[in-house]
Amino acid sequence: MTERKNERLLVVDDDADMRLTLKLALELAGYSVDVAANGREAVELQRRQPADVLITDIFMPDADGFEAIDAFRHEFPQTKIVVVSGGAQFTKRDYLPDAELIGVDATLQKPFDVDTLLGLLQRL
Amino acid sequence: MRLRSHLLLLSIATAAPVVILAVVIAFLVVRQERDTLRDAAVDRVVAVMSAIDAELGGSLATLRALAASAQLENGDLAAFHAEAQRILRAHPDWLDYTLARPDGTRLSSSAAAPGTEKFSAVDRESFDRAVASGEAVIGSLALGPAGKEWAVPIRMPVMHNGAVKYVLTAGLRPDAFGDLLRAQRLPEGWVVAIADRNKKIIGRVPPVPPGQEASESWRGALERSPQGWFRGRTIEGRKSYTPYATSSLSGWALGIAMPIEAVDAAAWRSLWLVLLMLLLASAIAVGLALLLGWRIARPIAALAHAADAAGRGERVEFPARTPIDEIDSLAAALGRAALAMREKQELAEREKAALQAADRAKDEFLAMLSHELRNPLAALTAAAHVLKLADPAEQAAIKARAVVERQTKHMARLVGDLLDISRVAMGKVALERERFDLAQAAGNLVNVWRASGRLGRHAVSLEMKPAWVDADRARIEQILSNLLDNAVKFTPAGRRITVGAGQEGEWAVLRVADEGEGLAPGSAERMFELFVQGARGLDRAAGGLGVGLALVKRLTEMHGGTVSAGSAGPGAGTTFTVRLPAVLPRAAQAAAPEAPPRVEPRRVLIVEDNDDARQMLHEALAFSGHEVREARDGASGLALAAEARPDVALIDIGLPDLDGYEVARRLRASPGGRRMGLIAITGYGQAEDQRRAYEAGFDAHLTKPVAPERLKQVMAGLR
Repeated sequence: MTERKNERLLVVDDDADMRLTLKLALELAGYSVDVAANGREAVELQRRQPADVLITDIFMPDADGFEAIDAFRHEFPQTKIVVVSGGAQFTKRDYLPDAELIGVDATLQKPFDVDTLLGLLQRL
Repeated sequence: MRLRSHLLLLSIATAAPVVILAVVIAFLVVRQERDTLRDAAVDRVVAVMSAIDAELGGSLATLRALAASAQLENGDLAAFHAEAQRILRAHPDWLDYTLARPDGTRLSSSAAAPGTEKFSAVDRESFDRAVASGEAVIGSLALGPAGKEWAVPIRMPVMHNGAVKYVLTAGLRPDAFGDLLRAQRLPEGWVVAIADRNKKIIGRVPPVPPGQEASESWRGALERSPQGWFRGRTIEGRKSYTPYATSSLSGWALGIAMPIEAVDAAAWRSLWLVLLMLLLASAIAVGLALLLGWRIARPIAALAHAADAAGRGERVEFPARTPIDEIDSLAAALGRAALAMREKQELAEREKAALQAADRAKDEFLAMLSHELRNPLAALTAAAHVLKLADPAEQAAIKARAVVERQTKHMARLVGDLLDISRVAMGKVALERERFDLAQAAGNLVNVWRASGRLGRHAVSLEMKPAWVDADRARIEQILSNLLDNAVKFTPAGRRITVGAGQEGEWAVLRVADEGEGLAPGSAERMFELFVQGARGLDRAAGGLGVGLALVKRLTEMHGGTVSAGSAGPGAGTTFTVRLPAVLPRAAQAAAPEAPPRVEPRRVLIVEDNDDARQMLHEALAFSGHEVREARDGASGLALAAEARPDVALIDIGLPDLDGYEVARRLRASPGGRRMGLIAITGYGQAEDQRRAYEAGFDAHLTKPVAPERLKQVMAGLR
């Protein structure tokens, strides 16, 4: 596994525990990680300190994940976007295919193995 | 067959006997008319006959007077002849006279000189009859002695000493009778005739030559009967009805022939009139039948049309007022049936809509469930990853362990709520009521929450006044926990949450007020429904399963209370109010605050086949300073207990060999087992499971997953 320690990641999730564990896990893998609790925070953070990859949840209060993705694609087109969500496949509210349709780079359904995310980040 | 045809048949069936009767009556009338006419004709025949008889009677009287003359008595035939000639001149209808001896010798006559001539046999038959009978005889038509003129002889025998001496004969002209007949003035086409004994016509109107034979049909009738009525032809060949009679005086027959047309015309006129009226009546009947049929059939057809439309589910008006009451009631009945059908249909549609809504709610619930379970799992998975890689002493590992603790608790509560709500919904929750102070219970719970740090991000204030209730303490704590959980979720960090209790009238009231974003108008009622969430749908911080408030509502209602939510509007915060029936306080000692659990080190035996669970319990107990031994099944647990003599045993109910109840029973029966503290650990928290546990000898009952704080409490509670 070749680690890219110079890459910056931005994790956006409204659940504090989720942000925290993802940050810990990704930092263990050698990335430098910023976190934001919602889309608006993420955009502000990105303006100050641009990240290479955005890892964002879809369903969040304040600024919805979709809005954050839209903002990033307009303002920071070179930033890769990975969407993670607990959206389930057996209901009509199947948001992951929607995320693919709007053109993000990858999607992951929660819960996911951290190694899977790491492999995905390697390929991007 | 159409109704109209039925009515037509009905009217025809009704009319038929009437028609038949009318026809019969018409024929009877015809016959009656004919009979009347005939009777009149017969009367007339008799009258004319009487007139003729009177005429003859007159001639006979004259002849009798002549026969009684003195000259004849004296034999002075010349004087007699003169007298006879005088009388002959006075009677113009007398053609001649003849005086003859019975042997036929003519003595005197208007035509010849007396005394010499032999009597020529003119109508000899009547002459002989007169001689034989000595009575006056009226003879038959014959040509007179001169052979030129027709006459009817009337013969009068002249008696002398009891014997016929002479026969005096007068010849009567037939014209005399012809005048009599003409005087009858019969209608045109009628015929009146007199015939003598030989059926020769004496006189007739219209006239025929005297001496002609009567018509063949009259002669036939006369052969059969001297008087009567026949239908036949006149001499001229015209068809006629003829009444006739025969005179007893003269033996002559008189007939009046009426033309058939004249007789039948009247009858036929009556008949035609009857038939015409029948026809008219039938036409009116048929017309009325058709009209009535139309009047009946039209509303029925309209009804059928409306019923069809109603069958297709259209909203129709049934004809309300028709000329027929039965159809009105039928229409009303159909109207009611259609209404009932439509209502049923609408009900079915409403039920279908409700089912679809429920189905949608279920789908949304499943999506939410998936989301809510996947999120903590994702955090746990990442934490496990960190724990695998990081040094346990590192900050990363410490943080990860805290995450694991928080998220497992969160999930356990989630699953517990889900199970609770289904059990409440199925009516499987039994309340274990006791009398306690709501304010105190709420204060304790808030303190526990504070101690656990779950209220750390908010300012929480209490407004407690005593309010006693008779309730299931665990359920009331569950209600408050859910309300607190809700308040924490919806209130931004740093804002205030106020928990209050107190008595208001007959209610013990529990309030949780937050400074969150408040409620959208109209959502206050709906938010207590199962699976319904705030307007923000799947947002996680605001989310949850929509189970907590539904559970609060149902548990409150089980206690005979109510729950409501109020808000001054979006942004103005929300206040939840639970009202429970208030009761009188229990005796004062309960007011003393519960002593915090004190930990005394004890010898503890764990009997649990699940390695993780056993490990967790072991660590939690060892952390509290207890001396811990463990066994994986019932048999080794019993063996270890006999050897180690523990103060307390934690026993899983679902063991591979003996079940936990059996282990408890045997431990209780073992030496020193009576004083041992026994705690059951099960995956089932229902009242029935608890009852079985206590019956088996357990002192306490813990439901998996076991929270260390709860374990501490229970351990402290054991003496």
